[in-house]
Amino acid sequence: MKTTYLTTNEAIDPVFIFIFGASLVLLLGITAVMVYFVIRYRRSRSPEPTSTADGNLWLEIVWTVLPTLLVLAMFYYGWAGYLALRNVPEGAMEVNATARMWSWNFAYPGGRSGTKLYVPAGKPIKVNLTSVDVLHGFYIPAFRVKRDIVPGMTNHVWFTATKPGSYDIFCSSYCGTGHSAMITTVEALPEAEFAAWLKEGAAGEGAAHPGLALLEQHGCLGCHSTDGSLKIGPSFKNIWGRKTIVQSGAADRTITVDEAYLKRAIMEPNADVVKGFAPAMPPYQLKQDELNAMIGYLRGDTVAVAPKIDGKTLAQEKGCLACHSLDGSKGVGPTLKGLYGSQVKVTKGGKLLSITADAAFLKESIKEPGATVVEGYQPTMPPYPDLSDAEMNAVLKWLEELK
Amino acid sequence: MSITLQEQPTTDRGFWNDTGKTGIGSWIFSTDHKRIGLLYFYSVLGFFLVGVVLGLLLRLELMAPGRDLMSAQTYNALFTVHGVVMIFLFIIPGIPGAFGNMVMPIQIGAADVSFPRLNLFSWWLYVIGTVLVLLSLFTGGGAPDTGWTFYVPFSARTGTNVSLALFGVFILGFSSILTGLNFVTTIHRLRAEGMTWSRIPLFTWSLYATAWVQILATPILGITLVLVIAERMLGTGLFDAARGGDPIMFQHLFWIYSHPAVYIMILPAMGIISEIIPVFSRKPIFGYKMIAFSSLAIAAAGSLVWGHHMFTSGMSDTAVLVFSFLTFIVAIPSAIKVFNWVSTLYRGSISLDPPMLFALTFILLFSIGGLTGLILGAAATDVHVHDTYFVVGHFHYVMFGGTGFAFFAAMHYWLPKFYGRTYKTRPAVIAWGLMFVGFNLLYFSMKVLGMQGMPRRYYDYLPEFANLNMVATVGSWILAIGLVLMLVNLFKGLFKGAPFTGNPWGGATLEWSTPTPPPTLNFITEPVVTHGPYDYTALKHDVREADSGVTP
Ligand code: HEM
Ligand SMILES: [Cu+2]
Ligand SMILES: [Cu+2]
Repeated sequence: MKTTYLTTNEAIDPVFIFIFGASLVLLLGITAVMVYFVIRYRRSRSPEPTSTADGNLWLEIVWTVLPTLLVLAMFYYGWAGYLALRNVPEGAMEVNATARMWSWNFAYPGGRSGTKLYVPAGKPIKVNLTSVDVLHGFYIPAFRVKRDIVPGMTNHVWFTATKPGSYDIFCSSYCGTGHSAMITTVEALPEAEFAAWLKEGAAGEGAAHPGLALLEQHGCLGCHSTDGSLKIGPSFKNIWGRKTIVQSGAADRTITVDEAYLKRAIMEPNADVVKGFAPAMPPYQLKQDELNAMIGYLRGDTVAVAPKIDGKTLAQEKGCLACHSLDGSKGVGPTLKGLYGSQVKVTKGGKLLSITADAAFLKESIKEPGATVVEGYQPTMPPYPDLSDAEMNAVLKWLEELK
Repeated sequence: MSITLQEQPTTDRGFWNDTGKTGIGSWIFSTDHKRIGLLYFYSVLGFFLVGVVLGLLLRLELMAPGRDLMSAQTYNALFTVHGVVMIFLFIIPGIPGAFGNMVMPIQIGAADVSFPRLNLFSWWLYVIGTVLVLLSLFTGGGAPDTGWTFYVPFSARTGTNVSLALFGVFILGFSSILTGLNFVTTIHRLRAEGMTWSRIPLFTWSLYATAWVQILATPILGITLVLVIAERMLGTGLFDAARGGDPIMFQHLFWIYSHPAVYIMILPAMGIISEIIPVFSRKPIFGYKMIAFSSLAIAAAGSLVWGHHMFTSGMSDTAVLVFSFLTFIVAIPSAIKVFNWVSTLYRGSISLDPPMLFALTFILLFSIGGLTGLILGAAATDVHVHDTYFVVGHFHYVMFGGTGFAFFAAMHYWLPKFYGRTYKTRPAVIAWGLMFVGFNLLYFSMKVLGMQGMPRRYYDYLPEFANLNMVATVGSWILAIGLVLMLVNLFKGLFKGAPFTGNPWGGATLEWSTPTPPPTLNFITEPVVTHGPYDYTALKHDVREADSGVTP
């Protein structure tokens, strides 16, 4: 019997075939004999029994011993296949999975983490499983692997995705209201692509706001959407300032969503339950700064984001540098070097003015360039009304540094 | 003990009116095992129907992906209540409570069970437990949503009314224990003269084996449930890893009862099949001793295999090895029974009356359920299908296709005896056909879905599972139509149908030698047993005697 396998399927599928095959033979045999007897010895044809046999020692021995041998063989193959699932191949890549009601988080050695399980195709992966609340189950049907996730204990599974592709991951152990929504995927990438993905990672999975990243990391988004759609809990879209009916005990109250309410709803979710929803949310113990960041995001704050967006990159991406130089030379538009805080002559509403290029001016001339045009230049710049506040702040900060 | 008929003259209606009492009080406070058996019968049948309606609602929700008619929370409560009702209110008390009570004392030639008042008390405990379970659905935080397995830590945390439901099940456990005690004592002490151990009918043998499991295993369930209540109310932390407890320990305790409980469910059903097959083949059962012995073997060895429900739980690999091995060993006696039943047909004179039709169907469906159990017993394959629809398919084949169909067989076999009227054959056969087709559409689809990876207890599923779910739901409708037809035909027959007298199928067990319906004390003269339960040559002699008016 082989003891090391390259894939889990290779270890498990033959056992299925063996047991199903033997069972099918037995079932068809029993059914055929039964149907034959019923037809052959039906009362209209066989009005009296032609035998009074009430046992036969040899037959009984045969049909005790043969099935015993058969089931022992099944037991043995079953056990051998199971061992293959338990013995992780050398050199498997480790990923730490955290399950919570009702979402997944996968963390990689390099510090990257996310809600999908990205893996390199063709390489054995070991997934360490922990739960922060109740029992969950980690199940990938495509690879025949499953393991319960038990609070207070680390279980593991291993598998190899031989081909790149997307494979379902289900929560297999019942965990409450969102159980059937606790699904995600294995994304198996070609090895090089995976390496690139892992490197690009430190930034997190593109979550713009640190509060949003936290909401994702703590699994909040498993039950609350950010786009207004209804999941297990109310959506976060436009939640700040919303008037909501909550049930505290037996009574209904109308509250306005504010900081105090949100804090309580996160830390003691069952104190006030939003009407129409089950009291299904687990309480969270969070650090003060985490809580503030989350609430900041829910309030619609943007300040916190500034450092994350790099003004120069943005200027490059938006194409600003095609017309504005950074070295003081003249282009289609004035240079950006030393622009911030300098005195410039502009035409505004047909009048020539001398003004200071402060934050307010710069902001306006990015959003609505046609309104104030620097003397000596054509009003050709396209407006950028869609820059978010965060992006605008990043750009202004960068311009300031360019002085 | 000598049995002579009391003051009241025997009438045609036997125990229905020979005591002169017919009001409701004469039923719910009766100590007559036949009346108690009927009380159980109507209670468990009622809850079976409740469970079926809940099951149909589950299927309706799963008809198509997405939300069809209820929320996730409602769905979760529904499958929990469906499971609890079917397991604790229908299938565990079902056959022993209803047919065990009605038939077993007569089969061994007794006038009643050993402790008739305790017997009545068991039924009352069943009623009280049931009321508590039902109350839990409508009070407190609402219907429990834990699944019938009540796994911690979820069951310790959820805000729904789990504690009251657990307490109800705790009470139901006492009912089961007391029935077991009563049956063991009765079978030991009250057998008629000549009813040696090797002449005990196999149905009674199966109840005997079952009764020991009820007595020995049920207390563990009781303790476990109380511990969960303590966890919820007092925060004892026994199952909480953060406080030194262990959630997996709960699973061990739960299955130490609940695996043997599947033998409480299936053994009496096997007993029924062992009665019906020989009667309708007019041939002695093949391997009487082996069947009786295998019931005891299953009951004993079945107590040691509970861990096969936990192969993926994180328990040690050594435990997986041992439990997988023992599970395969317990499979053998069940296989032996199937071979014995089929061999009984050989060179018989087979008549496909409705009881026989249901009994033969039992053999087929139970075999499918049992063979898929081998997949679950082998550690490697269990990992893939554990907690999927494969398991849901498997246990419905065993519990519904097995015990459920045996229950229907028993209804068609014994109820006419107790009512003195009978049903029409043709509608019963049509109903059987519908149920057979519907059943397989419903549950075979589930097995395939499980192989494809659809987890159980899923309110919603991915589009790739849509087609088979639709097939299963349509199957559930066909099954339900068959069920309604079967019940309507049966009850119309029992209340208004043609008279049923004597021993039309030619059974050789004692219940076929008493008047129909049996009098309150069962026998007019104390029976003396001179032959085995499946000795049909001796029967011909008795029947001739009966014709000459010696026994009615
Ligand atoms: C028409 C009849 C029935 C239908 C349509 C039906 C349907 C179902 C379905 C769809 C489930 C799966 C729920 C899920 O995993 O999401 C289920 C679970 C279950 N059924 Fe049935 N069923 C029927 C009869 C029975 C019978 C006769 C029994 C027992 C004797 C039974 C016992 C159970 C149990 C124990 C569960 C598991 C509940 C749990 O997961 O906690 N069912 N049934
Ligand atoms: Cu889960
Ligand atoms: Cu079991």
